[in-house]
Amino acid sequence: MNPPGSLRVLEEKEKEHLATPIVGPSIHSDNPQERIQARRLRIAARLEARRRETLGEHLDGKESEEDQSKSYKQKEESRLKLAKLLLCGTELVTNIQVAADIREVHRRAEEEEIKRQRLEKLENEVKTSQDKFDEIAMKWEEGKQKRIPQELWEMLNAQQVHCAGLVEDKNKLISELQQELETKHDQYVKDLKKQSGDICLLLERMEEQVKNVMKTFRQELQYIEKAFEVERQELLTNNKKKWEQALQAHSAKELEYLMNRIKKVEDHEKQLNKQRIWDCEEYNTIKIKLEQDVQILEQQLQQMKATYQLNQEKLEYSFQVLKKRDEESTVIKSQQKRKINCLHDVLNNLRSKYNKQVKQFQEENQSLTSDYKRLVMQFKEMQKAMRHFALIDDKQFREIWLMNEEEAKDLISRAFDVDRVIHTHHLGLPWTAPDFWFLKNVGPISQQQRKSATQILEEVLMEAEEEGAEEAASEPGSYLDLPKQVSAKTTRKILMLLCDESGFLIESKLLSLLLPLDKNECYLLKLDAIFSALGIENEDDLYKLVNFFLKYQAHHSPPSQERTSLVSPLEKLDLQGEKEGSLVDREPQEKQPPPSPRLIHPNDVLKILEAFVTGLRKPRDFRAPVKLLKVVRDDSKDSEYWKALTTVIPATTLNLWDALYTALEKYHLVLTQRAKLLLESRSLEWQDTELRQLLQQYLDAKINSELQAPPTQVFRVPTK
Amino acid sequence: MEETQITPSLSVPSWSSASTQDQSSTAGQASSTGPQPSKSSVIPPPVKSKGPSPGAGVRRMRRIIAEDAEWSVATVPLLTELCIQHIVKNFQNNPILKQLLPEHQKKVLNQLSPDLPLAVTANLIEDENYWRRCCTQRWPVCHVDEHGGSWKRMFFELHLENLLKHFIPSTTDPEVILSLLPLCRNYVHTIRVDQFLPPVQLPPPLRGGDQSDSSSEGEMEEPATGHYQLGDLVAGLSHLEELDLVYGVKDCGMNFEWNLFLFTYRDCHSLAATVKACHTLKIFRLTRSKVDDDKARILVFSLLDHAALEELDLSHNLIGDRGARAAAKLLGHSRLRVLNLANNQVRAPGAQSLAHALAHNSNLVSLNLRLNCIEDEGGQVLAHALQTNKCLTTLHLGGNELSEPTATLLSQVLSINTTLTSINLSCNHIGLDGGKQLLEGMSDNKTLLEFDLRLSGIAQESEYLIGQALCANREAARQRALSPSHFMSPATAKGPENLAG
Repeated sequence: MNPPGSLRVLEEKEKEHLATPIVGPSIHSDNPQERIQARRLRIAARLEARRRETLGEHLDGKESEEDQSKSYKQKEESRLKLAKLLLCGTELVTNIQVAADIREVHRRAEEEEIKRQRLEKLENEVKTSQDKFDEIAMKWEEGKQKRIPQELWEMLNAQQVHCAGLVEDKNKLISELQQELETKHDQYVKDLKKQSGDICLLLERMEEQVKNVMKTFRQELQYIEKAFEVERQELLTNNKKKWEQALQAHSAKELEYLMNRIKKVEDHEKQLNKQRIWDCEEYNTIKIKLEQDVQILEQQLQQMKATYQLNQEKLEYSFQVLKKRDEESTVIKSQQKRKINCLHDVLNNLRSKYNKQVKQFQEENQSLTSDYKRLVMQFKEMQKAMRHFALIDDKQFREIWLMNEEEAKDLISRAFDVDRVIHTHHLGLPWTAPDFWFLKNVGPISQQQRKSATQILEEVLMEAEEEGAEEAASEPGSYLDLPKQVSAKTTRKILMLLCDESGFLIESKLLSLLLPLDKNECYLLKLDAIFSALGIENEDDLYKLVNFFLKYQAHHSPPSQERTSLVSPLEKLDLQGEKEGSLVDREPQEKQPPPSPRLIHPNDVLKILEAFVTGLRKPRDFRAPVKLLKVVRDDSKDSEYWKALTTVIPATTLNLWDALYTALEKYHLVLTQRAKLLLESRSLEWQDTELRQLLQQYLDAKINSELQAPPTQVFRVPTK
Repeated sequence: MEETQITPSLSVPSWSSASTQDQSSTAGQASSTGPQPSKSSVIPPPVKSKGPSPGAGVRRMRRIIAEDAEWSVATVPLLTELCIQHIVKNFQNNPILKQLLPEHQKKVLNQLSPDLPLAVTANLIEDENYWRRCCTQRWPVCHVDEHGGSWKRMFFELHLENLLKHFIPSTTDPEVILSLLPLCRNYVHTIRVDQFLPPVQLPPPLRGGDQSDSSSEGEMEEPATGHYQLGDLVAGLSHLEELDLVYGVKDCGMNFEWNLFLFTYRDCHSLAATVKACHTLKIFRLTRSKVDDDKARILVFSLLDHAALEELDLSHNLIGDRGARAAAKLLGHSRLRVLNLANNQVRAPGAQSLAHALAHNSNLVSLNLRLNCIEDEGGQVLAHALQTNKCLTTLHLGGNELSEPTATLLSQVLSINTTLTSINLSCNHIGLDGGKQLLEGMSDNKTLLEFDLRLSGIAQESEYLIGQALCANREAARQRALSPSHFMSPATAKGPENLAG
């Protein structure tokens, strides 16, 4: 541990390398205050230099630096100064610790060295003493062998001396060590003192440092405050100057404004005067004019007064008149009142009458409505009757038609017979019966009666029923005039499907009623209900529906192929109910036509129906008038028909017949002549015979026999 | 109302003006004069004030008379005042505080005596003023800043410290301390004890070292029991963050004995267990306690993976390389930020293990190896470690017999590292060349703020230049702190640098 002197030396060294030669208070002086002063000056100078440099650097570049001005500079300066001071101060204070550290380090090094030496010494000592001890121990052995007491004594003495020497050595060592210890003790005490001295110094320095720091802080604060003050003063003066300048400018302007204002005021006064004079003149002229006006008006007033009096008199007169009139009007008023009363009475009467009449009319109305109802009923009855009559008429017409037709056909057949006879017998020609359409016709001609949907249904179903029986002799197209592409079977399937799927269209009541019925009837009724719901009324609609189904299925067929497997078992089930017998035969047949309606998936039915119904709506609208027309029978073809009947025999044949007739007539004539001739000849023959007989008789009479001649030669000549 | 003091000998007029509010001075005065006037706070009972007047002849007696003309006996204080008086008087038996209005609470607290038993006041009174009075009454110097700015905390910490300091094992009843536990558990954050009295056979050998003439020099017995076991106490303190212990005796004077300064294995084990159990502990200091390698290892192993520990201070002990190795292991297994091993016996191997730990550590901020003997070997290894470390800011290697090779390596570190702000290499043998090299390293560094090279054999010129560079760095750091956007910093930083160059 160093004495304080050495510490100071250290410290000074420390300072020296920081120091730059400065005149004035020396850092090397003994007075701490002076030293501090010196250091501070040095720092200030250094800072000043630095500041100058930075200022010089930034002078041209940054004007803002200047703007920040004195206070900022002062602050920066003080800050740097204080930082330096603090740094130096702490360095100063910690110097003691560092010095102590290095002393400790040195001490340790020395201690280690001494320790090492001591250990060495001790080891040497141990060795030597051990040798000595060994020697002594050896001698003990020797002594034991000695028999002569003198020798032994001597040897013992020698041993004693040796031992004493050994002990002495040890003692010496001990005393040496103890001495060392004592010196160490002293050293320790010294160290302690030094350390306490160090601590004292440390405290002193710390206090000094604190004082210094406080002092400098205060000073710097003052400086800063001063700087601020100065800056403030400058600012104030600057602002004052500015303020004064502004004030001056302001007053000058004010003056200018004042002058302007005065000028303006003068101008205005002049103008005012002018205006006044002008106004006065105008006033005078107007006054004169107005006075004239007043005179005129007074004259007018006089006139008006005169007229007024006149008018007054007139008015008085008219007042009188009015009074009289008033009296009259009061009289009239009373009269009118009376009249009004009368009229009120009348009105009341009329009202009562009106009410009565309303009642009456209501009654009438009621009666009339009842009449109307009755009439409607009657009308309906009439219609019914009419329908009945129509039916009857139809029937009658049909019967008459049939009758006539029969008659005609008889006649025709006769004609044909005749014709045939003529041809075969008379002309020798082969005869072929003419084949006309009307010949086969039976009953009145009509356009094919439209069948209602239900009828067709019935038919279809019936067909199906029958089908089971007459499967082998099936004539698929014959029984119905369905569109060609649609077979009855498919139709039927579609209908069944429809029936099964659209059960919701049927009323529940109906369903309950249907339960006990036969299957076919059940279907029939169900379909009927469904069609009525869908608005399907006749054949065409039905076919449309069926076609629609088929088309739809055709459009959607590719995916439906997959469905076949799904659907077919369902259909099988459907089918089973009706065709138990023929099921086995039918299966393969039915599977072959690929676009079978059976492939329609039940789930699609509703979609199809929906599409169909929306499609059907449109043509529906113009159906009504057509229906009316249908009632009137179409008799255009009748006359044609009948005419055709008349011309069953063509004109050529007729001509032929005419020719034949004439020929035959001629022939007849010839024949009749012949007949006559025959008759003549016969009579002649008879005469002949008679004559013969007579002759015979005569002959017989013997006279004749000689007169005999052949008569044929006599008679044959005239027949030719 | 005014109190005047009629003391013929001491005519202190200024004292009379120092009115009744100056509690501490009246209290201080009261101890000398007697208990009577100390009770007289705001409204002194008139009878008492008049009582002493006939006995004015007695020296150092205070007499209080009414000088105010308007004052009369008839003036009756307000009922609230009387109530408050009563509450204050009987506070020990019936503490009523929380039920009062705030202004009344204030009055009561102002008038309460600081001598009230802690059992009453500890958990009831939060008022800082009261605890301030308590502290200033008991201790002449109070640094409230060292106790988190809270007077109450300071009072309890100092009180506990006092008890611990004067606790004599197997003589003092441990209940004395444990009974305080429920009172102070919420307020004590720090325990600083710089003396643990050893158990003694002679009953009053060292009562705080006051008795100087007890002759116990020749007894050199091993202590049967250790020092006070902190375990129970520390377990009870829920907010304990700092533990600062010195196993030693202060002011022993000529009664010095080596066994006064024994930190036994028993102590060590119990302390280790205590520290391990205390999960809130952040700072642990055990200095000047003759902790050797084995004890250090015991302590360090108990601290491994401690969740909260941030600072470990084992300075001024006898820790060698093995202890240093243990500390290095701790660096890898904790979140230690500060490690202080100053004035120990760490040599190169210990420094090597520390350097190894340091190279991969990202928590440690400060490392102090002052007054060890790591020498160049250790110094070089540490310098290597610093090339990879990105966390350490403070490094103290003063008095470590370092020389030029370390300086060369450190100068390389200086040019690379950007985290170090303070290095201390004082009291080494760095030499002139080493100084130059360090100066070179410094010229590339922009972060170092402190670099202590005193008494290390460096040329003054280089030391001065290093100082200039440090100044520039400090200036830059200040600019950075002022404006985070680095706007002005380069311009201002250049100025001083140019000066230095």
